[in-house]
Amino acid sequence: MTSKQTPKKIVDVGDGAAIPTKSDRGLFTAWRIAFVGAIGTLAFLSWYKPDPYLNIIKFVPDGIVVTFKVTIGAILLSLVIGLVTGLGRISTNRLINGAASLYVEVIRGIPLLVQIFYIYYALGRFVKIPDLLSAIIAMAVCYGAYMGEVIRAGIQSIPKGQMEAALSLGMTRGQAMIHVILPQAFKVVLPPVGNEFIALLKDSSLVSILAVADLLRRGREFASESFTYFETYTVVALIYLVITLFFSKLIGIMEERINADN
Amino acid sequence: MKMMNMLVGLLTATALMTGTALAAPRKIVVATDATWPPMEMVDKDKKIVGFDIDFMNEVAKAAGFSVEFKNTAWDGIFAGVESGQYDAIISSVTITEERQKKYDFSLPYIDAGQILIVPKAEKGMKLADLKGKKIGAQIGTTGAMEVKKIKGIELKTYDEVGLAFEDMAAGRIGGVVCDEPTAIIYALKKDEYRDKFKIVGKPFTKEAYGIVVKKGNKELLDLLNKGIKAVKAKKTDAAIKKQWLK
Repeated sequence: MTSKQTPKKIVDVGDGAAIPTKSDRGLFTAWRIAFVGAIGTLAFLSWYKPDPYLNIIKFVPDGIVVTFKVTIGAILLSLVIGLVTGLGRISTNRLINGAASLYVEVIRGIPLLVQIFYIYYALGRFVKIPDLLSAIIAMAVCYGAYMGEVIRAGIQSIPKGQMEAALSLGMTRGQAMIHVILPQAFKVVLPPVGNEFIALLKDSSLVSILAVADLLRRGREFASESFTYFETYTVVALIYLVITLFFSKLIGIMEERINADN
Repeated sequence: MKMMNMLVGLLTATALMTGTALAAPRKIVVATDATWPPMEMVDKDKKIVGFDIDFMNEVAKAAGFSVEFKNTAWDGIFAGVESGQYDAIISSVTITEERQKKYDFSLPYIDAGQILIVPKAEKGMKLADLKGKKIGAQIGTTGAMEVKKIKGIELKTYDEVGLAFEDMAAGRIGGVVCDEPTAIIYALKKDEYRDKFKIVGKPFTKEAYGIVVKKGNKELLDLLNKGIKAVKAKKTDAAIKKQWLK
C-alpha cells in the first residue's frame, strides 16, 4: 500500500430489505430467494391446506388496500411536513429554526406507538376527522420529523458554491433554493426517502391498534374468531414481506436510473 | 436421652413440613382480559378485580386450589391456553359452538347478552336501524360476530372496548355493541360518557359465560365444575352478583 485511500462509508444500514445492485448478477441473491420463497410458500400453503390458508388470503385484501392508503397518504404528507421542517432547520431566522428543531426533538423522543395513540385520540377530542385520515395524520406527523432531517441533510450536502453562484447571478435566496439547490438535493435524498417509505410501510401496521382495518388488523380479526393464530400470522408476515421486497426493488431501480443520469 | 429428643424433634418437624407441603393447595394460573368492567378490570391499586375474579376465588376456595390471575389481551387469549401459558381463562367468555370445537368449557356460571349503545341523538332502536354506519365492538367477541351478521353495517374492531367508546365520543362510529354489564358501566356510570351515550332496547342475544380450559384437560375441568357446583349450591355467587352487577 503506497497511497492512502480515502475511507469509504463503512456502515451503511438502511431499514429496507437488501436490494441487489446491478453488480450482483448471481441467480441466488437474498432478494430473489426471499421474494420467490415468500410467494411460493403462500401459493403452496393455499393449495395444500385451503382451510385455513386460502380463507385467510381471501379475507385480508381490503386490509392490504388500507395499508397502502395509509402508507401512501402518510408518505406524501410527511414529505410536505419534512420539506417545511428541513427548510426550517437550516433557516437563519431563530424563531423558525427553533420551532422546527423543537418539533424534531419532541417527535423523535416519543415512541411511534405512543404518538399514534396520542394524536389519534387527541384529534378526536377537538375535531371530527374520519378514522383513516386521523391515522394518516398521526403517521405523517411522526415521520415528518425524520423526513425533515433527511431533507436537511440533503440540502446541506449540496456544495456552498452552488448557492453562492446562484446569488451572484442575481437570484434571491428563495429562487436559488427552488431552482438550484432543491433539484440537486432531490437526487441526494431519494435513497433515504425510499428507505423511509419502506420503514413507514412496515410501521403502518401500528395503526391497526387504532381499529383501522389494515392488513394486520384484518389478520387479527380472522385469527381471533377462527383461533388459527399461527396460520394467520404466517400469512400476514409473508404478505408484508412480499410487499416490502417489491417496493425495495422498485426503489433500487429508481436509484439506478437516477445514478445513470448523472 | 438428649439425642433421642432431638431425633424426635427432627422427625416431627419433617413430618410437619411434609404435611404442609401435601396440604398446600395446587395453584392454577388463570388468564383474564381486565378491560371489561365490571366483570374484570384493574382498579386504582393496580389489582385485578371484578365479578369474574371474585367468582373464581370462590370456586377455588370450594374446590381447594389457589388462583393466580394473569392480565392478558383478549386478542390471543385463547392461543395462550392452548400453548400452556396458563391453565384456564375466566374473562366473560361466552360459550359458543365454534369455541367449543377448539376448547373445553366449564358449566355456565352466569347469563349475559349483547346490547347496543348509541350516541344520545341517535333515533335508531336496534342494529338493523343503523345501516350505513360503522359499529364498534371488541375484536373476537360475540358482540363483533353479531354486528358482522347484519348486512349494510361496517364492523370496526377494537383491542379494548373502552377504545370503541372513546371513538364513538369522537364521532367516528355510530354505535357500540358489548355485553350488558359492561354497557351499563360505560353508558350510565362513567361521568365523561353519561351525557353522550344511551343504551337502546334489551339485550338481543342469550349467552352464558364459562371458564375455558385446554381441550382434553378433563382433570382441571372436573375440579372447576366441582367448585362451580359448590358455589351455586351455597349461593355465594348471588352476593358477588349483588356487589358488582347492581
